[in-house]
Amino acid sequence: MRPASRLLPLLALAIACPAIAQRASDRVDPAPTAADWQAIARLPDWSGTWSPDIVDQNAQIRTNPTPWKPDIQRQVDHWTAEEAAGRPKGLLIDCLPHGTPTFILITHNALEILFSPGRVTILGESDGNRLRRIHTDGRAMPADPDPSFHGYSVGHWDGSTLVVDTKGILPQVYLAVSEAVGIPNNGDMRVKERIHLVDPDTLAFDLEIDAPRVLTRPWKTTRLYHRKRQRSHEIVEGVCRQGDFRDATDARGNAIFAPAYQQDGNILPAPNEK
Amino acid sequence: MTRLVLAAAALTMLGVATSPPAEAHHSFAMFDPSKARTLRGTVREFRWVNPHVSLFVLADGGTGGAPELWAVELTSPGNLTRLGWTRKSLKPGDKVLVEINPLRDGQRGGGFRKATLVETGQVLQARLIDIEKKGEQ
Repeated sequence: MRPASRLLPLLALAIACPAIAQRASDRVDPAPTAADWQAIARLPDWSGTWSPDIVDQNAQIRTNPTPWKPDIQRQVDHWTAEEAAGRPKGLLIDCLPHGTPTFILITHNALEILFSPGRVTILGESDGNRLRRIHTDGRAMPADPDPSFHGYSVGHWDGSTLVVDTKGILPQVYLAVSEAVGIPNNGDMRVKERIHLVDPDTLAFDLEIDAPRVLTRPWKTTRLYHRKRQRSHEIVEGVCRQGDFRDATDARGNAIFAPAYQQDGNILPAPNEK
Repeated sequence: MTRLVLAAAALTMLGVATSPPAEAHHSFAMFDPSKARTLRGTVREFRWVNPHVSLFVLADGGTGGAPELWAVELTSPGNLTRLGWTRKSLKPGDKVLVEINPLRDGQRGGGFRKATLVETGQVLQARLIDIEKKGEQ
């Protein structure tokens, strides 16, 4: 069979089947060129490990409180009182991702930021799924992105500031002010960020959080991360659910994970453990 | 810009004395910060896992009581590494004094404050404020 005649059945199939015809318009990104990689060298240096300024996280909440709607404020007050009484709501004990923007707002673990042609990737610690992909290849925000924990992010560089727009965030994702106080955003949340250095080793995330179901107005707040270059500060693997298990050996002598005893997310000695 | 950083620095300094030990994954509010208790005993197990490293100590019982097994929660392996710990900082059999904030509900669990290795006198601490300090590049 000659090449042209070999394609005929495929062509017939494409015409007959709209799904395949649609794939024909699937955008194919070209391979990055040497110039694309060289352009990265002209971006600001965000290498190293970025540790959250937790004291400042808490200060921001006190001095620039979230503009919750009145009925949402009542829920927030309840969870704040519960935490103060020693009964914190475990927002994250199911190990699902913080999501956007809570990951940036309240994380207590470090993150790192990778540049590649057309992409900025933010990798968190304390779970493999603390991961944000920010498309910087000039694409438009999709009209209706599939909802996800971190949403769909497009960004561009405004000088040395990365400007990011995120939507398509799952309604269940908490807008949280601590690991015990947060409310699901309930849908239609959009987050705008301007990420930039404020001194050689401090990165600021200026956030504008528009969550119309729970906030009276868009909330502008800033989170700071400090750079460390020591190897002891490098990001390490952190699998959140590993803490739900303990090392054990099965009857055949294989190393396995066995469920660890816990209550409300607290590791405790098992009742029969002496 | 500069004003923002200065304000943040000032707040950081204020926060040093007042902020409770901060941890990942869950709040530590279930531990009572107003109560400190020292467990004197032997390390049974040191679990170096996310999201919280945990330390099991077979602690001396009070006034002739039987030894009690306690579980103590710390921050993540990543954060402890940044503070100079390793997965071998504590080993089964080590004699230790471990200061904790106990669970409010009376169960044998607590939030870690510090540990002292009896044999060497080495003190191990896990304050996140020591990670987030600026500088030391």
